[in-house]
Amino acid sequence: MKKILMTLLSLTMASSLLLAACSNDSSAPASDNGNQAAPASSSDSGGTTAEANTAELLAGPVAASDMSKLPEQAKKRTDTIIVGLTDPSGAFTPYFHQSGYDGNVSSVLYASLVTVDDKGLPIPDLAESWDISEDGLTYTFHLRKDLKFSDGSPLTAEDVAFTWTILHDKAYDGDSEVSTVLRIKGGQDYKEGKAKSIEGITIIDPQTISVTIEKVNAKALLTLGGNVLSKAYYGKDYTFGSLDYIKKLHATPVGNGPYKLDKFIPGQEVRFIANEYYYKGKPKTEHFIYKTTEGDTWQFIETGEQDYGSFTATQDNIDKLKKLGFLNIVPSTGSSYGYLQFNLEHATLKDKKLRQALTYGLDRKTIYVDANQGGAQIANVPTAPISWSYTEEGINPYNYDPEKAKALLDEAGWTEGAGGIREKDGQKLTIHFIGSKSKGTDIFIAVAKENYAAIGVQLEAEQFADFNALSSKFESRDFDLVSFSTPMLIDPSDGVSSFVNGEVKGYDNPKVKELYDKGLETTDIEERKKIYKELYQVINDDAPYIFTSYRKSVYAYNGRIEGLNVSPFRGLATSLPDWSLK
Amino acid sequence: MSTYLLRRFLYMILILFAASLLIFMLYALMPGDFVSNNMKLTAERKAELREIYGLSKPVMERYFNWMNNAFHGNFGYSLAQQKPVLTLFNEYIWNSFLLAVTSTFFTWLLAVIIGVIAAYKQYSWFDTLVMIGIFAAMSIPSFFIGLFLIKMFAVDLKWLPPGGMLTTGSNATGMEFVREVVDHMMLPVIVMTLLGVGSLTRYFRSNMLDVIRQDYIRTARAKGMRERVVLYRHALKNAMLPAITLVGFELPGLFGGSLIIEKIFNWPGIGQLYMQSFTVRDYPLLMGFTMFIAVLTVIGTLLSDILYHAADPRVRL
Amino acid sequence: MSSISGSVTKTEAHQAAVTPIRSSLWRQALHRLRKNKLAMSGFIFIVFMLLACFAGPLFSPYADNKINPANMNAAPSLKHWLGTDMLGRDVLTRLLQAGRISLTVGIASMCISVILGSILGAVAAYYRGIVDQIIMRVADLLLTIPGLPILFIMGALLSEWKIPSEYRMYIVMLMLSFIGWPGLARLVRSQMLSIREREFMQAAIVLGLNDRRKLFNHMIPNIIPLLIVVATLSIGGAILSESVLSFFGLGVMPPTPTWGNMIDAANNLIDFEKHPWLWIPPGVAIFTTVIAINIFGDGLRDVLDPKQKK
Repeated sequence: MKKILMTLLSLTMASSLLLAACSNDSSAPASDNGNQAAPASSSDSGGTTAEANTAELLAGPVAASDMSKLPEQAKKRTDTIIVGLTDPSGAFTPYFHQSGYDGNVSSVLYASLVTVDDKGLPIPDLAESWDISEDGLTYTFHLRKDLKFSDGSPLTAEDVAFTWTILHDKAYDGDSEVSTVLRIKGGQDYKEGKAKSIEGITIIDPQTISVTIEKVNAKALLTLGGNVLSKAYYGKDYTFGSLDYIKKLHATPVGNGPYKLDKFIPGQEVRFIANEYYYKGKPKTEHFIYKTTEGDTWQFIETGEQDYGSFTATQDNIDKLKKLGFLNIVPSTGSSYGYLQFNLEHATLKDKKLRQALTYGLDRKTIYVDANQGGAQIANVPTAPISWSYTEEGINPYNYDPEKAKALLDEAGWTEGAGGIREKDGQKLTIHFIGSKSKGTDIFIAVAKENYAAIGVQLEAEQFADFNALSSKFESRDFDLVSFSTPMLIDPSDGVSSFVNGEVKGYDNPKVKELYDKGLETTDIEERKKIYKELYQVINDDAPYIFTSYRKSVYAYNGRIEGLNVSPFRGLATSLPDWSLK
Repeated sequence: MSTYLLRRFLYMILILFAASLLIFMLYALMPGDFVSNNMKLTAERKAELREIYGLSKPVMERYFNWMNNAFHGNFGYSLAQQKPVLTLFNEYIWNSFLLAVTSTFFTWLLAVIIGVIAAYKQYSWFDTLVMIGIFAAMSIPSFFIGLFLIKMFAVDLKWLPPGGMLTTGSNATGMEFVREVVDHMMLPVIVMTLLGVGSLTRYFRSNMLDVIRQDYIRTARAKGMRERVVLYRHALKNAMLPAITLVGFELPGLFGGSLIIEKIFNWPGIGQLYMQSFTVRDYPLLMGFTMFIAVLTVIGTLLSDILYHAADPRVRL
Repeated sequence: MSSISGSVTKTEAHQAAVTPIRSSLWRQALHRLRKNKLAMSGFIFIVFMLLACFAGPLFSPYADNKINPANMNAAPSLKHWLGTDMLGRDVLTRLLQAGRISLTVGIASMCISVILGSILGAVAAYYRGIVDQIIMRVADLLLTIPGLPILFIMGALLSEWKIPSEYRMYIVMLMLSFIGWPGLARLVRSQMLSIREREFMQAAIVLGLNDRRKLFNHMIPNIIPLLIVVATLSIGGAILSESVLSFFGLGVMPPTPTWGNMIDAANNLIDFEKHPWLWIPPGVAIFTTVIAINIFGDGLRDVLDPKQKK
């Protein structure tokens, strides 16, 4: 699933995990010109004004107002659409690439067995339908008839079985969860070389395949329902234990998606050409190009060299996009959330009252909404507003309230000491914050220092040059508070798994564990909704994280393009075959 | 001379060995590794991956493995890009080289001309204007100059392309291809030249001032030689002397790429590639590239020493 | 402005090679410097800048650097002469506060690297032989070491040793000078090598002067003009390089401003176009300071150059 989580990274929101620290200040993926400035508002209630403005600006899609402003260069293109992508590296085999940008490329080249709709619910893709056994352990996929790879060869259950098998090779170094999280029956034996094939995978006929897993897992359907590799092509040289040969095939992918690879120019472009064997029929636009854009993308949008761009939903960005006139603008919210994680192994932070006080005492609205010109909204639960599991019912919004924070600190036994800093048993209340170096963190530190000083808490901040440096500091456990953001979340369980799998060290709430397991044991959405609501209420009250924000973006595209739709989970690839230039 | 060269060559090999060890250690000591990029991996999976990549072995063993392979011409595969390191260099380095060579040429050309004139007309309006221009270029970060030029020439005036090396989707060949590349090179070369020309001009100007005051220049003038001949034949030659040592130092810079320029102008160069590899701790690529630059640096310093001797035989090596 | 200073330097009268008492040499130099109006105006500007930065914020009503959500990104006005930034803080006040750190850092780091580089280069050129070999080969080695991983390792170490973040930058600067001397050392060495072969050095040897006197009284003064050019040129770079360190989390911590990180905060097309008051003030501050320092340095160079004594 990681691939899918990563797929959209570059096209949608900025500083997600991997990229949080990339290179320099424009750390955001290229197509996202996240600027953190705030609205120029002269009234004293600047905050509310800003919110009202943004709400109005983002109410819905805005159509291009003046197509006559369309630059010459964009007018000249008749059968080509160009989209920016930060940095594809050339490893276009699904499951085997290490960069999310290559994931974006392979999502155009490959269709998957099962995909998701705009709510994150599974819908058929290469598989026409599927059955899940009563006990929830056996999945049977029914493939569409006459599926073909881009070289014209047929796609059958053999290929699906080969794909699942190769992911269990002991040399496999990708991040597919098929072999790591999911427990396919016999998978471990294969990995250890004890079996020639995986026992749990059964090919019933060329269009039907079933697989048995050892433990019920609500994510199994999407994890199994990924891309399909051609056995004839990728399996030709396969022997157990050595996968190096695949590297030689990265540059010449044989896929089954809407487009096939035409040409890759490193550091510049990935060119695609419509795939006549695509099961939904050849896409309407003959050529598609991912253009590598490392820095700002404005200049390419403005000069018409690029047809599509995604931007943080700040006032400045929206104003500018509207002014250009030839762009359709659509607001969207990402499916990830940002958070500040407490180090729950520190005795002082084990106290729920202290954690809640620190949440009340932080002016999240100023940091994430106002200073960001409305480019985000406040989060209070570990799921995104676009998810079917999102709820505000029974959720404490922790509105900024220094008085309440002070009262809670008093209750927790922290009393004012020298220099206005609270103390308890002779120990000063200082919070050691770590984060990666970015504009957002700069703003956080500036505001949080002031906020916390006002309630008698001293904030000591450290910033690290890149994500790797931050994560190694994080692993040393020498911090009180750390700032992270999740990757794209599809299933609601993705957003809460860290509370139960030991990732949030020192957090142990049996109720959370129980609800988490319950949430995965059923595939009935309504029932799951109820379970997650209860789970979110518990976590919201427990405050192991300070939930911070959901990033909001706008995407803008050339007004000539019709049929464009961005899935919050799968990005452009799902609607790509329908794009046409008018 | 030949014993000197032999000795220097031996030192060079020694230094490169020491450097390779030091560089390998530095990269290994950096916080985080290739596996820690991905926070979602479980601890067991991380251990498995470190085993696959050989990251669980002791550093010295890893170093000797690398060295051994390097001696056999095998610099390994990039972990992140999944391609042989040398292939990647080949894909990106020439683009950086193209920019660097062009801008270095213009930098030196302009610096010599401006430096000589500014020195000859010391404290004139020309000198003052040049000085102010130089300081302006030096005290403004390169990204600003870049943004400004893009805004002006690409977005507003539409004279030049906004970035990249080719027009997206272009199938140009032959002369048309060359033209396109030249168009795209224009802005980055201007910025790089602006950035480099300042200190070099100051350097030439100051050398020139030194030389102009020397006795032999006075003699030449006294002999009634034409001013231009004095200036360009006698003075410039001597003023260039110390600058010759700088030539060798330019060598690694020609292949090193420039992160900021490549990023602003979306140029497909090696500087970008290095930075990305750095953030994900792609050791084979980092090691290969750094050693490549190290070799060039060492050759460059040797070159500048030899050039210096050639230019001024009084100086013993 | 050209004619005044020109008249000072162009009137050359050679003095005897052996200088009399030191203090009078310096007094002479000072006297000549005072007469160089251009250099003095540079000097006065630097003093003014220092005063403004260190004392200015004391008179500002916004000196507490408080964020103000109600007045973010406001354009310049009577209340905020240079507008406010994305957190509603007064840009002018921050500009002056930033100057304190930027000037200190710029001048300090320039001094360290120039002193280190010139001494090592001079020593290598003077003694030659094994000393030269060791210094130059270490320089060669250092030139091959990439700076980026060193910054990262230092970041991790300083964090582990719990060095307070306000001191980190200075330690890092010091460390960078320690690995950054080879370039200058080589330059100084090559200059010294050619000076060493000049006639007046032969004379010094014939006169039987000791090493220290030969090195410090005769050779080093001859490279001072070069050093001044290098030093004054590197100030602008040093001020900007502070922002590079901040970028690696090794510079100053927010909310403390510096010129470098103020200008960096606006490195995208949107801010470039829409909020010029965010980047013009720090840009102008760096520019004028660099010019002033260089004008002053030029004057100093003219005055100290042994080849053009009055």
